[in-house]
Amino acid sequence: MAKYNEAPEADLKGTLICVFLVGLVIVVMWVAAYLMYTAR
Amino acid sequence: MIAAQDRKLALSNIGVAYTAFLLGTLCGLLQVFIRNDAIQLPAWLDYYQILTAHGVLLALIFTTFFIFGFFVTGMSKSLGNFGPKVRLVSWIGFWVTVIGTVLATAMIVSGEASVLYTFYAPLKASGWYYVGLALFVVGTWISSFALVSHYMVWRKTNKGQLSPLFAFMTITTIILWLIACLGVVATVLFQYIPWTFGWVDTIDVELSRSLFWYFGHPLVYFWLLPAYMAWYVIVPKLVGTTVFSDSLARLSFVLFILFSIPVGFHHQLTEPGISNFWKFLQVMLTFMVIIPSLMTAFSMFATFETAGRKNGGKGLFGWFTKLPWKDIRFTSIFVAMAFFIPGGAGGIINASFQLNEVVHNTLWVVGHFHITVGTPVAMTFMGLTFWLIPYLTGRKFTKAMQKLGFVQIVTWSVGMLMMSTAQHVLGLLGAPRRTAFSSYNNHASTLEWFDGIISSHVTMAIGGSILFLSAMLLIYIVVMTMFLSPKAVKEKDMVEFPMAESGKASTPKFLENWWIWIGIAFALIFIAYAIPLGDMIQHAPPGAEGLKTW
Repeated sequence: MAKYNEAPEADLKGTLICVFLVGLVIVVMWVAAYLMYTAR
Repeated sequence: MIAAQDRKLALSNIGVAYTAFLLGTLCGLLQVFIRNDAIQLPAWLDYYQILTAHGVLLALIFTTFFIFGFFVTGMSKSLGNFGPKVRLVSWIGFWVTVIGTVLATAMIVSGEASVLYTFYAPLKASGWYYVGLALFVVGTWISSFALVSHYMVWRKTNKGQLSPLFAFMTITTIILWLIACLGVVATVLFQYIPWTFGWVDTIDVELSRSLFWYFGHPLVYFWLLPAYMAWYVIVPKLVGTTVFSDSLARLSFVLFILFSIPVGFHHQLTEPGISNFWKFLQVMLTFMVIIPSLMTAFSMFATFETAGRKNGGKGLFGWFTKLPWKDIRFTSIFVAMAFFIPGGAGGIINASFQLNEVVHNTLWVVGHFHITVGTPVAMTFMGLTFWLIPYLTGRKFTKAMQKLGFVQIVTWSVGMLMMSTAQHVLGLLGAPRRTAFSSYNNHASTLEWFDGIISSHVTMAIGGSILFLSAMLLIYIVVMTMFLSPKAVKEKDMVEFPMAESGKASTPKFLENWWIWIGIAFALIFIAYAIPLGDMIQHAPPGAEGLKTW
């Protein structure tokens, strides 16, 4: 099997969590507005 | 350092931008006190006059002139100094835009154009106001063509090569601007000007509003994309790394050409003259804009994490502490980005068809506008200002100015947080936008708007006052760095244009094939607009005569 000299992958675990947090903010705000809409 | 003539051109644009900023923020201060019933304007000055001035001077004039100042500098830096023809055309564009600005502003100040920033018919301003707006747009087109021709010259001499990322993004923004302006030019030239000069008696209101919003939404991206340019190209340099992914950056920009234009109906969701099908289609297309926005968010976090880890950051979030927080050029833009998270989330709510019912025509929308354009865009421009003006004038950005820069950014953030949070909450409680103070015969719901800590017009006024203070600090920094700070003589004092390197080796060439993206953009615009606009024209209701409510 051929061996490749690949550059080490960057560690982006923090980025992944941050992007999920952004998504969470979007979802929470949207659901809050939706609940307000259904309540009125 | 770019050529002195190019620097003069850029500085002239920035000078006009900050003159508009000064006047526009003063109008904003007056507004929050009127809404709070704390002051009454003299008889010769009307609330709607200053509301129009605030919107036009800040959202249109400040942003556009600053953007062109930034573009001129960056294009000269990344593609080489302008040739004499490009420079001449740029100056013509600049002066036509200035003449349009002065004419439109004079009409607002003289009380002939209190039609607000959206100038909805049948509100009828003086015809000269619309002539001013038309000249403004034509001027920006001339300036745009100068930049495009500079780019074309570079492409001819560098055949087969991808252009530098800054130039690519500038051209993307200009393409978006040119396509977007077609709507506003159509309504101003063929509807408003004939109507206001009395050549025709009436105007088709629904058509004019639709053409306005065909322009109005991509206008938001005309403000936002230069801020994204700073995020993609400037920020990596400030944090000590390169652009995370050249391909991702270019792809996200071309997606904005495609998805930011055929979406104007999401501003018209409460209007009866458009069928639900077309509204729904444009709502779906609006949601597509989330994709390049989240690609940008991912790219930014990845840039920070890469840089932070390179500087010794360990663990899951250790990299966060290794970012250059003491550098105001970075911190200002980071805070701007942070504001965009709730700002973008609010935008999704606004565009969510039925959910729009909760917030439409309320102060929520004003709050949304201020935590999108008023902070992510404006504060990014502030972050750019801190180095851009000293770079162009060859003056020092002294330690005192850097400290003042921090005070300015902190006060802007605190003021905006107070004002926009109050606006969002008041909007949810039903407080309307686009209105002066009214107690609505002391209705119980209205009195609630002056109670509480967050849900109060008083909080809004305090936040607005802090924002005005911050704006004046910024004006002081601008004046100092433009005219009064000591000249940078030693190399260490010279301010550089922080442009990050961007690896283009694996970037697909088709990303810079403009005809693909322009073609798809027009196809989407045709799909989204051809039938509903055709219907509006074919089944036009009786036109409206003008109203002058002020």
